[in-house]
Amino acid sequence: YPVFAQQGYSNPRAANGKLACANCHLNQKAIEIEAPQAVLPNSVFEVTVKVPYDTTRQQVGANGKKADLNVGGIVILPKGFKLAAKNQIPAEVKAKNKGVFISPYSTEFDNILIVGPIAGKTHQELIFPVVSPDPEKDSDVKYLTYPLYAGGNRGRGQVYPTGEKSNINSFGAVQAGQISEITTSEKGESNITIINSDGVKTSQIIPAGLTLTVKQGDSVKVDQSLNIDPNVGGFGQEETEIVLQNPLRIIGYLGFCFCVLLTQVLLIIKKKQFEKVQAAELNF
Amino acid sequence: MSVIKKPDLTDPKLRAKLAKGMGHNYYGEPAWPNDLLYVFPVCILGTFACCIGLAVMAPTQMGEPADPFNTPLEILPEWYFFPTFNLLRVLPNKLLGVLAMARVPAGLITVPFIENVNKFQNPFRRPIASLVFILGFFTAVWLGIGACLPIDKAVSLGFW
Repeated sequence: YPVFAQQGYSNPRAANGKLACANCHLNQKAIEIEAPQAVLPNSVFEVTVKVPYDTTRQQVGANGKKADLNVGGIVILPKGFKLAAKNQIPAEVKAKNKGVFISPYSTEFDNILIVGPIAGKTHQELIFPVVSPDPEKDSDVKYLTYPLYAGGNRGRGQVYPTGEKSNINSFGAVQAGQISEITTSEKGESNITIINSDGVKTSQIIPAGLTLTVKQGDSVKVDQSLNIDPNVGGFGQEETEIVLQNPLRIIGYLGFCFCVLLTQVLLIIKKKQFEKVQAAELNF
Repeated sequence: MSVIKKPDLTDPKLRAKLAKGMGHNYYGEPAWPNDLLYVFPVCILGTFACCIGLAVMAPTQMGEPADPFNTPLEILPEWYFFPTFNLLRVLPNKLLGVLAMARVPAGLITVPFIENVNKFQNPFRRPIASLVFILGFFTAVWLGIGACLPIDKAVSLGFW
């Protein structure tokens, strides 16, 4: 959940570039960012994070039953870029984002936007409406190229911030030995008892909904996985660049290009004229 | 079209030069002023427009502040070091890796000496140099792509 990151990290992007989400969502799956190459100051644009996955796959829910995957996303915008206000968002984006609640990460980092968990079947594209800052009003912002980081996740997390495993993880044997007993409780939890060579008994609980790979009488090694890894989701992060563009620079450049073009054309015309003189005087 | 000067084949000096495979700049389009004065500035201005366009449309990114205690998630050198970087990380022994890197310029230096017996300049008539170039280029691109992939695909690129 994004809220775990909000509670544990003031800045969700570690110095080495790792996003905090990757601490709980252990699988890696690719995402895509779609953002404009350049934006003008004070303009509203969309950053789209694509979180593709096979929608026929299901995961284990918190109650041990099969459930559809949810998706979530994070976009780390350059400083000064903010979530667009409701009245600034174009109608078609509003329609696509119906029921999707995008919020800033914290009051300190309002340039970081998070969303999720939301139903993955209908939202494999997370659209973040963003408004760009104006360097004329905010002297901290300059007309430059800025990095833009994004992360997207599908499926539940494998560990909680406390370090405990969630029920969508693979559980390893706590000791080496032989499995003496497997009992299943009413809730569906499996209690596995392992006896090692010294006769020491341990028992551990595998949460409901997981498929065991071992049976009674099997001998297991330490940390050998006792169930099939149920994790079908995964987290991915990507980065791209965005240019905060000054409209005056574009106009200036277009003017410059026009002058260049004119000069080039005139040079060629002059050459053609001179060639006529050369041909007439036979002087070359 | 443009003004073309024909070769003066009655000139013995030009004939002697042509026989040696030289003297090609004594005929064709005159360099001055047709080419140098009129067409060169056209190209120069074109390059200016391209460079300034890049500077305006894609200004240099402000990188993150340097931090010696911060190892990035992915360690990669500049792109032109990708092939040798891949050699260095794939070879199990560091000395072997450094020697393999040193082999690259050392091997290239020997090529002209090995092919020195060959009197031709045409690359199609210098098979060793051309083959070394083609193979070396292919290997460099292959290893360079491998450097961007995880270590288990560094050599195979995931093809086998």
